[in-house]
Amino acid sequence: MNTTASTVSGKGRFSDISLKNVLIRNSMVLVLIVVIAYFTYRSARFATPDNFLTILVAAAPFALVALGQTLVILTGGIDLSVGSVIAASAMSAAFTAVRYPDQLWLSAVVAIAVGALVGLVNGLVISLLNVPPFVATLGTMTAASGLAYVIGNGAPINGVPTDYGNFANTAILGLTAPVILMILGFVLIWFILKHTTFGLRVYAVGSNRNAATLAGVRTGSMLVRVYLISGALAGLSGLMISSRVISGAPSLGQGYELDAIAAVVIGGASLFGGRGSIWGTLLGLLLIQTLNNGLDILVVPAYWQSIIKGGLIVAAVGIDVWATRQRRP
Amino acid sequence: MPNFRKLGIAAVLATGLALTTACGAGDPSANQSGGTKKITVGVSVYDMSSFITQGQEGMNAYAGANDIDLRWNSANLDVSTQANQIQQYIDQKVDAIVIVPVQADSLGPQLKAAAAAKIPVIAVNAALSDTSNLASSVLPDDVAAGEQEMTAMAEKLGGKGKIVILQGPLGQSAEVNRSKGIQNVLAKNPGIQVLAKDTANWKRDQAVNKMKNWISAFGNDISAVVAENDDMGLGALQALKEAGKNIPVVGVDGIEDGLKAVKAGTFIGTNLQHGRVELGVGLAVAAKAAKGETVEKNYVYKMPQITPQNVDTYYANVVTGKDEFLKKLPDLITKNMASGDISNEK
Repeated sequence: MNTTASTVSGKGRFSDISLKNVLIRNSMVLVLIVVIAYFTYRSARFATPDNFLTILVAAAPFALVALGQTLVILTGGIDLSVGSVIAASAMSAAFTAVRYPDQLWLSAVVAIAVGALVGLVNGLVISLLNVPPFVATLGTMTAASGLAYVIGNGAPINGVPTDYGNFANTAILGLTAPVILMILGFVLIWFILKHTTFGLRVYAVGSNRNAATLAGVRTGSMLVRVYLISGALAGLSGLMISSRVISGAPSLGQGYELDAIAAVVIGGASLFGGRGSIWGTLLGLLLIQTLNNGLDILVVPAYWQSIIKGGLIVAAVGIDVWATRQRRP
Repeated sequence: MPNFRKLGIAAVLATGLALTTACGAGDPSANQSGGTKKITVGVSVYDMSSFITQGQEGMNAYAGANDIDLRWNSANLDVSTQANQIQQYIDQKVDAIVIVPVQADSLGPQLKAAAAAKIPVIAVNAALSDTSNLASSVLPDDVAAGEQEMTAMAEKLGGKGKIVILQGPLGQSAEVNRSKGIQNVLAKNPGIQVLAKDTANWKRDQAVNKMKNWISAFGNDISAVVAENDDMGLGALQALKEAGKNIPVVGVDGIEDGLKAVKAGTFIGTNLQHGRVELGVGLAVAAKAAKGETVEKNYVYKMPQITPQNVDTYYANVVTGKDEFLKKLPDLITKNMASGDISNEK
């Protein structure tokens, strides 16, 4: 209970936080284990390598978005625009692919650029104009969704060249590109958060923005970078989803922002910022995706799946709030 | 130090105003020359699917040839959004309203308000359950479409096998009726078992994940996929490709990628719902009603069945030769309205 003494050294403070984080995280690990055990019991086909790979492939686009969302939530913010960014970047990429079928790398660049641009706008509006992240990203969410419809004249884009599918379907060692990106993404962001000053500052800004500014952290530029990363990752996700089905639909990615936030929150991050870990996000993500997959295998109707997922999110946040209260002496 | 926040908000507002004046069509009635008044028709669709987008091309072609001012709105699969859009059209005093409904059981108050304002309302492509305030409905025979696709698949399977069914958004009339048609044929084919059926909301990316999960669940037990629209069928094809499986798939709608799949042999067939023709006819009926002419209560679009044998002709009309087709469309529609065979494309 040496909370006061251990705040002197930075390391002590973080280890105090991560102890609680570990407790919360463990409860979710337990839930995941129970869920996997249940599905394994109900269906012999669940616990097979092929099926686990299916879960990873379905999780990959959500993972990219959840990675960015983790950074954003750690700074105490939120990014509601990622779902629409997926749509806008997917549409831009598909549009480019139809017109430049021999330079498909251009589509990839366009997708990420569109995402990064929206992220940049978010970051600037939030840091320069001091608009609350919820409001700012709500605005860009609406605008980006409109952009997705404008690009295709309101239409999904048919007739995309088959090679466009190579982005998402090329496999190395049996793992497709999105899965590899997901693994790389988690490792990279973990490294950044744990072993770089940038990561330290992300936590600092989230814990206490004013104190961080006073301590010399350039919070403005930090926020811009964090939202830019979130947007770019969403753009990459849009490229991967549209590449898998070789078409661009303006309604792509709808609701992905909520799934991403759910993953981060279930993983134990606090929506107030400053607390959370990337592995928590991975856990939350795997839990949601395993539920999606297992419930489909048991042929549970789609609307029941929503009820179950929603209940889980509320429970996770409830535990988080309770645990936060426990920390204060 | 300048107040960035106020400057920023002012800049955003200024840009917004500039954009709206630049993009807006301005006041259409300001350009009225003398003579017959231009008819205004307000359209509200459930979402911009591939099919609806095609339909918009057809409506634009007919509107252009017949001097109709077309206003367009999409409801993003949300019932209350659609209700608001209809109300706005009533407030704008349009001459007729065309609705492609999100849900069959909806829009009661808005239909009453339209009737009170003497604005004819036409339901196109999907039905509204309460037809008492509708001037007309232009509907595809979705039950027949469901029966046609299931019959084609039953023949392919020789009457025996285990299938999975990908449905549209639950409750939308197209889903309800296609499911009914599929059930009708399944009742006559007791050798065919349904392993699973669930909605993928007409979407390719939802279908791909659902199909992957079903492949995990049922593996080689699945003999075929019956998709209630082409987009979902194509998603299922992607899932099958990823799993290295090759089983028959059938769809409905005949979108460009769907027709390509029939040509390539990955779809055993589909049913053509040529959006340009169907929605174009809907607009024609709306225009007639707006002018006060009599219209029938129901127009039925019977979907032509697309097989590998006839796909090339339709592919030309729908994809490669679509601009020529659009030029002929207004006259084709007038001819079809007279003959009653509204899905005819010759």
